Amino acid sequence: MKEIMAVIRMDMIGKTKEALSIQGFPALNCMKVMGRGKKKLDYTLIERYLSDGIEISSPKAAEAVSEGHRLVPKRLVSMVVNDDEVKKVVEAIMETNSRGNPGDGKIFVLPVSDCIRIRTGEAGEQAV
Amino acid sequence: MLMIRAIIRPERVGLVLEELSDAGFPAVTKIDVMGRGKQRGVKVGDVFYDEIPKEMLMMVVNDEDKDDVIKLIMKNSKTGMKGAFGDGKIFVSPVDEVYTISSSTKGL
Repeated sequence: MKEIMAVIRMDMIGKTKEALSIQGFPALNCMKVMGRGKKKLDYTLIERYLSDGIEISSPKAAEAVSEGHRLVPKRLVSMVVNDDEVKKVVEAIMETNSRGNPGDGKIFVLPVSDCIRIRTGEAGEQAV
Repeated sequence: MLMIRAIIRPERVGLVLEELSDAGFPAVTKIDVMGRGKQRGVKVGDVFYDEIPKEMLMMVVNDEDKDDVIKLIMKNSKTGMKGAFGDGKIFVSPVDEVYTISSSTKGL
């Protein structure tokens, strides 16, 4: 079993969910997270907004701008699948999210040692 | 590659993130979490608080950078001279594969 964690753009979650359910992977966990990547971002545009006194409606975005280190709101999608399905899921996420711009996200594949279904108590591959 | 997940005090996040980017590890994901530790929470008067707000920093680094990152997080999230209960924990787990979505390439 593998856990697939993908950090993607906020507005791509709908398309990603759709693409994954078409491929047959409807089960996923989704979190709102803040993050930053390797590339330094150009914040002059937002700074101009701030200096003009225009309010930023999202408190999360305002927090990200006001802090010294700049974090951007992102979505973290995490799902556990069997080993042979990893490639299919990674390809589906990559295809829907790839626009060729920095900030599109990252996909991590981590090993999972066991999985237990709470309702029935069954463990192993059939519980995934 | 290794995934480092550090659960630290929310007030230390700014300092840790700054030091990490100065040391050349800018890529971090921050998650708001609630939790308790071995001390079963905090007792204030008669009330026991067992869901304490914390921040989880998640980052994936190359194997050789692990020690540097852990040392850095440890140094900057410790409170007081010797450290105190509630300063947090760091977990390290293996990562099999990493993909960059924008360029559709494998690797960090």
